[in-house]
Amino acid sequence: MRSRACPLIPRAAAVVLGLSLAGACDLDLANPNAATEETVVTTVDGVIAVAVGMQQVYAQSVEDFALVPALVTDEWGTQTRALVSYRSLLNGDSFDPGYGVVSAPWSGGYSTIKAANTLLVSAPRVGLAPGFEKGITALAKLFKAMALGTIVMQYDKVPVDVSTAAVFQDRAVVLDTILRLLESARADLAGVTNTELTGFRTRVLGTGFNPLRTIDAMRARYYLIDGQYQQAIDAADSVKLDTLSVFAYPSPTVNPVYNLAFGLLYVAGLKSWVDSAEAGDLRPTYWLNTASAPAGNPPDTLLYALRKYSGQNDPYPAYLPDEMKLIKAEAYTRLGQYATAAALVNAVRTQTTSPVDEPVAGLPALDPATQLATEAQLLAEIAKQRRYELFMQGLRWEDTRRLGNLLTTTPTFTWLPTPTQECRTNPNAVNCS
Amino acid sequence: MRKRRLEVGSVIALVLAPAMLFAQETGTIRGRVTDAATGQPVADARVTVEGTGLAAASRANGEYVLAAAPVGPRTLTARRVGYGVIRREIDVPPGDAVTADFALRAVAVALDAVVVTGVGTPTEKRTVGNTIEVISGDAISASPGATSIDRALQGKVTGALISQNNGQPGAGVSVRLRGTNSVLGTGEPLWVVDGVIVDNSSDALIGISANPSGARREAGGAALANRLSDIAPTDIERAEVLKGAAAAALYGSRANNGVIQIFTRRGRAGSTRGTVNVELGVTSTPARYELNTASRAGYADAVYAGADTLAPSVTRYNIQDSVFRTGFSARTNLSLSGGAGGTSYYLSGSRTDESGIVRPTGYHRTSLRGRFTQQVGETLELTASGTFIQSARDQIPEGEQTQGALTSIVFTPTAWKPFFNDTLGRYPYNPVIQGNPLAVINTFQAPEDVTRFIGGLEGVFRPRPSLTLRYGYGIDDYRQEDKYLQPPFSINATFTGSIQNPIRLSRQQNHDLTATYVATPAPILSSSTTLGFRYTDAHVDDISAAATGLPPEQQTVVGAVPTASQGLSEFRTLGGFVEERVGFKDRLYVNGGLNLEASSAFGASQRWQLFPRMSASYVLGETEFFRSSGLGQRISTLRLRAAYGETGGQPPSIYGRFSNYVGVGYSGKPGLVASSLKGNPDLKPERQREIEGGLDLGLFADRALLEFTYYHKRTFDLVLAAPLPLSTGFLSQLQNVGVLRNKGWELALNTVNVNKPSVGWRSTLSLAANRSRVEKLVTPNDTLVFGYLNAVIPGQPLGVFYGGIYVRDASGNVVYRDTTIGGILYQQMPLRARDTLPNGTTAFANRIIGDPNPDLIASLLNTFDLGRHVHISVLLDGRFGNDVANFTRRITEFFGADKVIEREISRDTFPRTFTLNPTGRINIYEEYIENGSFVKLREVAVKLRFDQPWVRKLGAETLDLMLAGRNLITWTSYRGLDPEINLFTANTVARGVDFANTPIPRTFTLSVGFNF
Repeated sequence: MRSRACPLIPRAAAVVLGLSLAGACDLDLANPNAATEETVVTTVDGVIAVAVGMQQVYAQSVEDFALVPALVTDEWGTQTRALVSYRSLLNGDSFDPGYGVVSAPWSGGYSTIKAANTLLVSAPRVGLAPGFEKGITALAKLFKAMALGTIVMQYDKVPVDVSTAAVFQDRAVVLDTILRLLESARADLAGVTNTELTGFRTRVLGTGFNPLRTIDAMRARYYLIDGQYQQAIDAADSVKLDTLSVFAYPSPTVNPVYNLAFGLLYVAGLKSWVDSAEAGDLRPTYWLNTASAPAGNPPDTLLYALRKYSGQNDPYPAYLPDEMKLIKAEAYTRLGQYATAAALVNAVRTQTTSPVDEPVAGLPALDPATQLATEAQLLAEIAKQRRYELFMQGLRWEDTRRLGNLLTTTPTFTWLPTPTQECRTNPNAVNCS
Repeated sequence: MRKRRLEVGSVIALVLAPAMLFAQETGTIRGRVTDAATGQPVADARVTVEGTGLAAASRANGEYVLAAAPVGPRTLTARRVGYGVIRREIDVPPGDAVTADFALRAVAVALDAVVVTGVGTPTEKRTVGNTIEVISGDAISASPGATSIDRALQGKVTGALISQNNGQPGAGVSVRLRGTNSVLGTGEPLWVVDGVIVDNSSDALIGISANPSGARREAGGAALANRLSDIAPTDIERAEVLKGAAAAALYGSRANNGVIQIFTRRGRAGSTRGTVNVELGVTSTPARYELNTASRAGYADAVYAGADTLAPSVTRYNIQDSVFRTGFSARTNLSLSGGAGGTSYYLSGSRTDESGIVRPTGYHRTSLRGRFTQQVGETLELTASGTFIQSARDQIPEGEQTQGALTSIVFTPTAWKPFFNDTLGRYPYNPVIQGNPLAVINTFQAPEDVTRFIGGLEGVFRPRPSLTLRYGYGIDDYRQEDKYLQPPFSINATFTGSIQNPIRLSRQQNHDLTATYVATPAPILSSSTTLGFRYTDAHVDDISAAATGLPPEQQTVVGAVPTASQGLSEFRTLGGFVEERVGFKDRLYVNGGLNLEASSAFGASQRWQLFPRMSASYVLGETEFFRSSGLGQRISTLRLRAAYGETGGQPPSIYGRFSNYVGVGYSGKPGLVASSLKGNPDLKPERQREIEGGLDLGLFADRALLEFTYYHKRTFDLVLAAPLPLSTGFLSQLQNVGVLRNKGWELALNTVNVNKPSVGWRSTLSLAANRSRVEKLVTPNDTLVFGYLNAVIPGQPLGVFYGGIYVRDASGNVVYRDTTIGGILYQQMPLRARDTLPNGTTAFANRIIGDPNPDLIASLLNTFDLGRHVHISVLLDGRFGNDVANFTRRITEFFGADKVIEREISRDTFPRTFTLNPTGRINIYEEYIENGSFVKLREVAVKLRFDQPWVRKLGAETLDLMLAGRNLITWTSYRGLDPEINLFTANTVARGVDFANTPIPRTFTLSVGFNF
């Protein structure tokens, strides 16, 4: 008996030890609650999901891209419930670079860029068909360029890529990067057929978003900002104006500008913006509800509620078609071709209908010989048309840099400072206060 | 999965295979254990045959029997807590009986007490250089009115700050051993019951007091109960407390907060013994809110309760009569034990029913235990044990919950009439926070139901006296179901009703294998070497169903808008250790150990962690040099000890090493977005290094024992969320960056004051002081705030209160000013101080305004034996120098419910000094920090023991009748109901906050116990 009983313990011990050490106690436990970096970058489904997620991050950040330019210029005011930081953007009082409004565009931009980088590295590795892969890489380059664009329009010097100690670059370098990304994205798409993009369209692309047109529109926008006027004209020419390219917010998602104005009740349009419009201009009532001030705000007389994006599932445009006409008008003006420019300005002024959801001015044409004859006349009129055509599209602040002396507004701040968290954690950060 | 089953199967085979016994020549040892001074029988003394596993416990009449003892010369040892050890040499005759009586001498010194020290190989306390506190089972099981082990330990562990966080029945307890040692992680010790690591989590599945997990998890998020409350405090033989790294290093990466080991009783060979104990209790609230009873209307009455103006005459309602009640409890415990032929067993069952002091709270628990031990020859002992528990709890929202019953009292002017309104056909909505306490009491449901099994298997194999192999397996498996039902229209006219029904399925397992070899290489040297292996595995699955838009009377999750969610966590540790203990001349002992451990929560590069320990113990008092010196005449025992050890704490997030992606939808397509929290592949444990030293001093022939310990510990690598450059695309990352220090001293004085046949009197005085200091956070300027005011600030104690302060004049007095706001003049108002910022603007000033950590914790236990039949014990438990943030008073004053408002109404003070104070008094938090020092009469018991012939006629050996009380009196200057409770319950940092929480009830109990 004894001899049978005794060896059992060591034997059991050996079994336990053996089992535990050999796999029963694998310590590399995966996280069952969430996909991790390792799985998303190595699988087709993971890469596709990240491509969808990248669009979501950008689409949910459009309020951050629109907010600061609208508040520091003359587009939006703050409702009584707005945070102190919003009011300080509006009037310049007690400003702090630690405010969330300072870091939000930065954070949203670099999150988008990080997702884009993941796609650019992973999409070619997971075995997608060439068309599918090119669709994803083109989209990643476009969103990276758009994110950098929104950043460079709000901060003076910024990193052009994500990294742990990113180096800050001059604006020229950033613009150059944006344009190279856009050209590369265009080349990616040019090499594939529509049929080859079927998978990309059905599984990745957001409803109502047109990558190729958006690439061209962004090329036009950033060539103009970069002073490459002929390229801007060529790019704008290739954008067809009969359809929109938008970010969609089907339920349960919510348009973030709607949330800002109607959910949180933080912002509303400035009445002064309406009052400064030319008599008969149809666009103020396209953008704002001029019959209604937002309730509960003591200085009711200063604000109008938004009309555009007043539905929580309303789409937000990647660009508006008439921006292309105004880009060309400005570029032709800079190139000295005033007559062509004047015709484009009048095309914007006199539009009364549109097949797509965009503002129309319904104004009489100006006389090219007297009213749009000089560079100064043209640029002043272009600035005015941009103000009413491109309301709350996040472009007004940048306009003040190109057309500053022709505008009626002086922004509260020239640039946003680098966010405090970036300053404290990145040794290469500049523009820290 | 299959492999694990195999593993368990092999253990079962191990238990069953050697069921047949082999014959061997044996004899019987019997005798009686008495008190040398009084001649009274001593029950529960443990008599063991050294070198074998044989042991027996004395019965109530002092008698014991050791059957089947191997023949030949043997050494018998008799031990009993509170008495000195006695050894006797005997010769066991074959097939016959030998008598060995023991007369034990009462001492306060316990150097010979046996401790297990976290290794699984028992040793005498004298050989261990670190503090191990042993609490006898009597002190725990006999604790009147205590329904859980941690409550029963209150006031009995030197240096342990044990707070009952809430007064609802079955609500939880927080234990802090030598301070708090983490910021984001847990502050609670590891609990081990009979070698099984038991779950003591306190995750809030529903929000009943502080807000639940999720968005505010870090801020509060602890449940009312912690899971240790499931385990009945009966059948406990003893508890051992390892307070810090120096003692607990062999528990490795889960031991930063110390370890508490519980050992339950086991059966002894001999005739069947049994106990029946019935305890009946009555509970009541220690205090009620002192509310505004002015007969005239005040400002809040006009604003909220429909008073026309500040007019004379309003009717006031004291709703407390409908909320508080007298609670009753009934507890029944049964146990049976015995054994024969190498088999012994211990069976017990207990049932607890309790109604709380706040309607409709209650607690019910059924617990069944069985423990079987089979001795196979002289060398093998197999034990199987299992506990089945079913507990049910009826809770009620309070604290932060706006629909809380007590919350509603503190938020509501007393002129508001809360009773059911026939005209409306419902309870009126509260004018301030909408929830009506009577509607909540009568129509809400918040039950919690737990079904739990805790089981263990153990095999101890001693092939020879010098070698012991031990294998232990433990499992703790439970299902916890919570429900929170808020009926439609109960809170306001647009509320459609809500139900949450979370279920937690938890399973923890541990395997331990140790081998100990004892050698005596030279006559003056002894050596004990232990090799060990440990594997733990935890699997927790949280599934929650919820719905809103409920049909009336709906009690299950059916509603217009149903939702469901799931969270799964798996966690494993694996490790091995070696420990060497060398004794020199039975005087000097040196221990050293190394524990190498890995955890699935550590990053791959930091997977394996080494935790060393060492200690030395020198029994100076027994050296001839000391004995012959002058000091030796006066000092009967003197031991010096010192220890160093390191332990770890698991990272607060077990998946923190991963960069996770979060599911999002865009444009109707499923997508993934990288979490803003970057994974840290180098995440490692929070590491504690502790050094301690002390002495044990016995005086007056060991009738007084002074134990003193000083400790100093630093916890490094505290895991904190470090901000990252936003240009990385992330916001933050969990990093091992913080440092926290705790240091302090502990002193215990045990005395046998009187030891005569007619009177016995013993005392235990415990004092302890701990100072914590946050030494490093991510940056020197960080201030992390938890809960409302508890802040973690470098250079300060952990969790100090940080908030708004008064404007004061040069001599420090509060400045009162006449202030005009909105054209109205308010006289003599206090103001909140502001700071001028570098840019010239001003902002409200925040300062450190209090500290919830006590400067000193103290307890005093006195026990008296009057003659043979009367035993009295009195336990005082207190803490000194701690502050409590009285958010309850803050709200009762602001909303006009507090008695102080009578002063406003009587014009003793200015209108709105308190009520809806327009100058922001409510944010001058300094006003609401109060001294929370208290002394509680924690336990008092008068026990009558009868052993007269009439008792035997009832079939019992003895009959115990006990009249006792718990938390009967609180001496404090604190103005709230109870300074011990905490809104944030078991939260690590957010401590000392009182906000409309149920106070700990005053409990009277009467119990009858039969021992047979």
